[in-house]
Amino acid sequence: MASPSDRGRRPGPILEVWNRRVHYYLGLYFLLFVWLFSFTGLLLNHPRWALSRIPNEPSTSFERSIESPSGDTDLVRATDVARQLRVRGEIEWPQAPQAPGRLDFNIVYPKRATQVRVDLTRNRVTVQQIDRSVWSALRISHTFSGSRYNSPGTSRDWLLTSVWVVAMDALAVGSLVMVIGSYYMWYRLKSKRTLGWIALTAGFLSCGLFVFGLASRG
Amino acid sequence: MPQPYDGPRRIRSMKPSGEKTFYRWTRDLHLYLGLLVSPFVIAFAVSVLFLNHAKVDTSAATSVTTVRDVRIPAALETARGREAADRAREIVDQVGITGEIGFVRYIRKQQRFVIPVSTPGLETIIDVDVPSRTAVVSRREMGLLESVGYLHKRRGPHNADLRGNWFWTRVWRWLADGTVYLLLFISATGLYLWFAIKSERRIGFALLGVGAVSFFGLLYGLAF
Repeated sequence: MASPSDRGRRPGPILEVWNRRVHYYLGLYFLLFVWLFSFTGLLLNHPRWALSRIPNEPSTSFERSIESPSGDTDLVRATDVARQLRVRGEIEWPQAPQAPGRLDFNIVYPKRATQVRVDLTRNRVTVQQIDRSVWSALRISHTFSGSRYNSPGTSRDWLLTSVWVVAMDALAVGSLVMVIGSYYMWYRLKSKRTLGWIALTAGFLSCGLFVFGLASRG
Repeated sequence: MPQPYDGPRRIRSMKPSGEKTFYRWTRDLHLYLGLLVSPFVIAFAVSVLFLNHAKVDTSAATSVTTVRDVRIPAALETARGREAADRAREIVDQVGITGEIGFVRYIRKQQRFVIPVSTPGLETIIDVDVPSRTAVVSRREMGLLESVGYLHKRRGPHNADLRGNWFWTRVWRWLADGTVYLLLFISATGLYLWFAIKSERRIGFALLGVGAVSFFGLLYGLAF
C-alpha cells in the first residue's frame, strides 16, 4: 500500500490540489476585474438607469496654431498633432474620407474624448473636449478596446488600450481555466454528480438555445 | 508538499453546528450555481476574445431575395423609436423574417425604408421601395463566434427606446442579468470558501493585493 507521502507525489493528487489552487488563485487575482465587468455589464444592459447615463457636455472649443504635422500617413500626422496638443488616447477616424487640406479625427479614452479638426493649409487646429466622470469612465472601459470587429479599418494605436485589451483577454482566459477546472473538481465528487448534471444541462440548454437555436428562426 | 482536498476535515474542525451548516450550504450553492452559469461564462469569455481581435467583413450578403406587393403600414415614415419598430414589424413579418428590429430609416427623397433586423446568427436588411411596394431582403449569416459576440453586445447603450422589441432579446437580457447576479454571488461565496482555508490565507491576500494593484493601476490610466 502506498504511503501518504507517495500519494502526495503521484500526478493525480498533485493535479487535483493544483487545479483547486489555480481555481481560487485566479478568482482572487481577478476579483476586482470580475466585479467591474459585472457592474458595468449591468449598466450596459439597462441604459435607462440613471447610473447608466453618460453626459456628453462638450467644453467650449478653442483654436490654436500648430507646427505643420509631419509624417507619411494620416495616422502619423494625427499622432504628431496629438503630441503637440499634449492629448493622449486612442485615435479614431470619421467614417467619411478626409477633405483636401483637412485632418479631422478624435482622440478618446474612457475619461475624455477630444475632437480635433486641423486646417492643414493654415496650420490651425480646433479642439473640443468632453470630460467624463470616473463613474462614466468605468462604464466606458467595459467596451473600450480600440477596435471594432465589423470595421476592418480600425486598429489599436495607443499603448494603454493594448494593455487594457491584454487585461480583458487575460480575464477571459482565466475565466475559461476556472470553469474547466471547476468541471474537474465537481466530477471528482461522486455524491454531487446528479444535481451537478442537472444544473450544467440546464445552463447549456438555455445558453445553447441562443447560440445555436435562434439562428434557424431568422 | 500539496495536500489532498480536506473539505470534510475542514468542516469537522468548525465548532458550532451552525457554522458547519452555513459552510456546507455555501459550498454547495457555489458549486451548483457555478455549474448552472458556467456555459454563459464560457460564452461571454470566448466572445471577449472575438470582439477584441476578430475582423469580419459585414458588407457581403449571403443571399438577396425580392418580395413584391408588400403592404406598407400607415404613418411609418413619421413614427419614431419603438413605435417605428413596432410598425415596421408588419413589413418584417410579411417578408418572412423574425428578430430584433434596429433603427428604421426613411429616405424621403427616394421614398425608401431601410429596416435592419437581427438574430444571433443572421443579420438582415430589408430595403422597401414604397412606390413599387417591393422589398429587397439581404441576409448575412454570422459564424458561431460572431453569433456569440452579437449576444455579448446585444443590449448596449444605444437606442435604449428601441431595444428589446423582440421577445427573445428580452429573454436574453434577463439571462444576461442573471449571469451577472450569479457571478457576484459566486465571487462572494468563493471569497468565503477561500477564507475558510487558513493555510491559503497569506498567498490569497497577496494575490488579492497584486490583483488590486494591477486593477487600480490600469483604471488610473483610463478613468482619471
